Amino acid sequence: MIFRKNKVCDVPGLTKNVGFWSNFTVRSTLLVVLSMMIVGLFIAGVQGYLVGLSSFLTNIDVIYNVYVSLRDLSWMPLVIISLPLFGVLLSWLVEKHSCNRRDMLVILMTSFTILMSLFLYPNALEGGQTFNIPGVLGLGLSFRVDMLGFTMLMITSVLWFLVMVYAHEYMLKERHSSRFFVFMGITYSSVLGTIMAGDLLTVFLFFEVMTFASYMLVVHGQKDDSYHAGYNYIFMGIIGGFAILIAVMLLYFTVGDLSFASAIHALNEAGNIKFVIIGLLIFGFGIKAGMAPVHVWLPRAHPVAPTPASALLSGIMIKLGAYGILRVATSYYFPQEGADFSAPVWLTSNAVGSSVIWLGIITMTIGVFFALQQSNIKRMLAYHSISQMGYIMMGIGVALYLGSYGAMGYAGALYHIINHALFKSLLFMVAGVVIYHTGEANMYKLGGLWKKLPLSATVCLIAALGISGIPLFNGFVSKTILHHGIVEAYEYHGQMSMVFAERIFIVISAGTVASFIKLFYFVFLRKPDQPHQLNPEYNNLDTAMAMVALLIIFIGLNPNFILNAFIIPQLNMMPYSPTFVDTYIVGMSVFTYDDLTIMIWIVLLGGLIFYFGNKFHLFHIKLPYWLNLEYLVFYPVNVLIRKSCHLMYGDQCKYNAVTLQKLALKDNKDIGFLDRFVLMASIFNNRYEKRIIKSDAFIYTIFITGILTFMLVMRLL
Amino acid sequence: MIIQIPVISLVFFLLMALIVPLFKRRNFAVTTTLGLIVLLIVWVLTVVLVRDVYLNGPFTYAFGNHESFIGLELLVNLFSAGFALFMLSLIIIIYVYSTSDATEGIAEKEYGRYYILLFILLFAMFGILYTNDLFNTYVFMEILSITTVSIISIKRKKENYTASFRYVMLNEVGSLSYLFGVALLFMVTGHTNIDLVAASIQSSFDDYTANIVTALGFMLTGIGIKAAIFPFHIWLPDAHSTAPTSSSAILSGLVVKLYILIMIKMLFRLFGFDIVSAMNIHIVLMMIGAFGMIMGSVFAIGQTDVKRMLGYSSIAQVGYIVLGISLGTVLGLQAAFFHVLSHGLMKAALFLSVGAVIYHKGVRKVKDFNGMASEMPVVMTVFGLAALGMIGIPLTSGFISKLNLGLASLDANQGYLIIIIIVSGLLNALYYLPILIAAFLKSNKPGDLGLKVEPIPRLMMVPIVVLGLLIVYFGLFPNMILSWFEEIAVVLL
Repeated sequence: MIFRKNKVCDVPGLTKNVGFWSNFTVRSTLLVVLSMMIVGLFIAGVQGYLVGLSSFLTNIDVIYNVYVSLRDLSWMPLVIISLPLFGVLLSWLVEKHSCNRRDMLVILMTSFTILMSLFLYPNALEGGQTFNIPGVLGLGLSFRVDMLGFTMLMITSVLWFLVMVYAHEYMLKERHSSRFFVFMGITYSSVLGTIMAGDLLTVFLFFEVMTFASYMLVVHGQKDDSYHAGYNYIFMGIIGGFAILIAVMLLYFTVGDLSFASAIHALNEAGNIKFVIIGLLIFGFGIKAGMAPVHVWLPRAHPVAPTPASALLSGIMIKLGAYGILRVATSYYFPQEGADFSAPVWLTSNAVGSSVIWLGIITMTIGVFFALQQSNIKRMLAYHSISQMGYIMMGIGVALYLGSYGAMGYAGALYHIINHALFKSLLFMVAGVVIYHTGEANMYKLGGLWKKLPLSATVCLIAALGISGIPLFNGFVSKTILHHGIVEAYEYHGQMSMVFAERIFIVISAGTVASFIKLFYFVFLRKPDQPHQLNPEYNNLDTAMAMVALLIIFIGLNPNFILNAFIIPQLNMMPYSPTFVDTYIVGMSVFTYDDLTIMIWIVLLGGLIFYFGNKFHLFHIKLPYWLNLEYLVFYPVNVLIRKSCHLMYGDQCKYNAVTLQKLALKDNKDIGFLDRFVLMASIFNNRYEKRIIKSDAFIYTIFITGILTFMLVMRLL
Repeated sequence: MIIQIPVISLVFFLLMALIVPLFKRRNFAVTTTLGLIVLLIVWVLTVVLVRDVYLNGPFTYAFGNHESFIGLELLVNLFSAGFALFMLSLIIIIYVYSTSDATEGIAEKEYGRYYILLFILLFAMFGILYTNDLFNTYVFMEILSITTVSIISIKRKKENYTASFRYVMLNEVGSLSYLFGVALLFMVTGHTNIDLVAASIQSSFDDYTANIVTALGFMLTGIGIKAAIFPFHIWLPDAHSTAPTSSSAILSGLVVKLYILIMIKMLFRLFGFDIVSAMNIHIVLMMIGAFGMIMGSVFAIGQTDVKRMLGYSSIAQVGYIVLGISLGTVLGLQAAFFHVLSHGLMKAALFLSVGAVIYHKGVRKVKDFNGMASEMPVVMTVFGLAALGMIGIPLTSGFISKLNLGLASLDANQGYLIIIIIVSGLLNALYYLPILIAAFLKSNKPGDLGLKVEPIPRLMMVPIVVLGLLIVYFGLFPNMILSWFEEIAVVLL
């Protein structure tokens, strides 16, 4: 079975490359080019460049019929979800023979997924077909792909495909690679399911599957720190899942329907429970999204996972948290499209929005602050994921806060989801390549790699420029839109706090710039203390990275493409003010004087931060352990647990036993809250279990007297 | 013919128990095959019975055609026949497993005795389900607890004797409390037939409050002890962890549930939920249910022996069922019934898979489970499924239980109970997940072990896999069974 494979794929017989055309790199590169051409044709078709070709094709009956039947296939979402699972099954059958064949199957399946998703576009433009499966899980499942779903689907499938191309080469050196691809496939199909879900229960189902499947990716290394990180990951995941489950129950109880449609009237009638519901949902999805107070799992889990997994964890999976918040907030808490935009309908989303904005601001601040202090490349990137999620959360907040004028925030958040998926996964891939070749993840020990790895250096630069928001790269576009959004939040409501939010936004962007100057300088430019010996060949790693880099540049150069093809169609279907969308978003130009000057200021400030940080060794400050968020939150409980032994045993508490000594620790480094709790439960057991068992007669007497007295009292009352 | 089926099943079980000693000299497989045939015949008969009841409605069967106020009466409705079918089906699965693994710790010449006891156990269980008479219920309860105690002590070890002694003492107190309650009711009403007693309780409650209330208290306590409801759980962990594995599955998955069903009968048919809620008993039940859900898990966390841990987990799960009952609504009962089913399946799967581990590897400590999945992949997968069900992860029947229970408590305006349900789920995760992680990811000895399924007898493997599939099936398509449970619940209320 899959769990038994312990072998590494990189043995001579398995990866022999015979001839040019049977070379795996050549084949997969061709496949990448082909798939990207298809996506390119699709893009061109959507933009209306290929009218001649499409009318030529639709005139051929066979092609047209196939197209129509695939387009109207109501269970297409199921096909798409099962494709990766099918791939898992097939690859399980062939993995005995050859790792190459297995990986080619995985890559092929992911490219089919892209192809199949494209057929959903025409229906998505009109709001999507609903496909119901009644009765499953009691309340029934449903799928619907609208433009929001389609956008997520596109970015997910394209990125997953490219990362799978990358993963082939990367996993050759890792053990248990078959298990990795199996759980990658399950994770992929659950991610697709989450995106295409048509109601909250379906989202919850796939979300839970994703938590468990991706857990296997996080702990793939099977080392002590991956277990630690994984335990954290899965528990936070389960807690988040349960929060969503409570919300599902409450929502089903108050609204009576879980499908993503406006429920604001029913919610308003139910009173304050609506805030409980959205709070639980934000908490539950926020855990996956790496939102500030509950982000603690992320900087542990992402670095320990194998690089392809961390690229996808950071690129796609945390976005699903943001997607979830965006989805539930803009469906349940928004009025129906075309309904009147009078104030009362928007009051709820207004209140929710302002808190989400601040959650976003806090998240981005914490993320950047800790990112600047990291020395491990992947850890630093993980903290940047948190901070960039803060941007997205802020955008979502604006989208809710401004009511019918929130289109700018919505557009910015969604745009940033796309962009961040691209550049963060690219950055992780670069980090992976660096670790793959040098075996070193500490950036202070690296250096001068741009000569050895020119292509990686180039794509890293592109991604860094993207994430820093330099004009002509993709991050600039979305950051500018988000900036517009937060400025509007101030202008339309006149709350002074939003001005601070905007200032923080600028400073955080500068911090991001500083952090990536640092990364690029230490890894690629600086003269190394000891030069690394490596002679890389061109392989799949480079193909995948180059393709993502091209996408980044493409979006950076055509900022309006994503807006026109993906975002504006959905804005028009939302209850946003059409005049606002037409005036400010359709045909908007990001390369204006104001936006560019702000960018220049950000870059200058970022440069300064880097200069001073490097000069005065500010990047090496270690905060005392008691400033650790986890420590602060659990402090009261931990004190109580530490005292528990004395409470239970009095003076006889054997504090010297090995396990108990762990409990006495003040630091959280070696023992987390859960371990403490488990320890306390076992002490409790040792102390009281036998005693309770032996006091059977006592319990019986107490209970029977108690219940009889109770009933007597009840009767007398 | 159909109305004779309950009696025929009882007779079949008794006969089988009598026949076993006759085959003492033969190959033991003959006995087990014969037992299986009997079980299958009764199963078919029960299916026919359930179908008939479903189509034509309930009926009563009077022994010797006596009037119901002197004679014994069996009541066959969807409640009794349906649960009889469920229990029998689960027992067949466990029985098939036990034919290979009854041997764990039992001396060879005791095999036959084990099966005699098993069939008397079945006889008592069916009797309790079908009977419509309070005193008759007591008789069957006694038979059941005597057989149970013999099964627990069938392994001749010191801890078995201690456990069974504690069991027999406590359960005897429970039975006598119940009997005392019945006597008090008989004083007031002059009947032991449930329908007649119920009718006269309704009419004479205001005149004889003290009697009826005391009876309620004693009967509830008595059944509470037998059902291992939280403060009375004390006998369960020792008893269930020392018993042979297949009977642990029966005891934890079914026998405990049986007493819960008696409790439902008592609360809803005998006293009627109006009296129960006027006395605020439902609040007491809610509290002990909630406490049990939390405390059972807290005790389970500290265990080092897996079977003991499963025993404590049963206590927590009984808390769910009690919580569902205490809501006193159709939805609450429906959720409780569904949890009876789903916990029966999950706990049986857990005990049987642990039993397979004990059989194959001879270990039962939590720390010995490292890397177990690489040696016993199928068994550990089913174990994992059931454990995830206990936590309440979707695609397992445990999730449906949690969802229904949550919706039911919202429906009964007790929304805060959801928090307890969720916390209990998290606590479950705290002791099941480390085992799973250890089994699937940690490994004591790395090395390529090849592609093979664990070498345990096929007859042990099949029941385990079937249970795993059933857990997933009821997790995916619960609606049909839920609508049945709804019908049962509507009748009771």
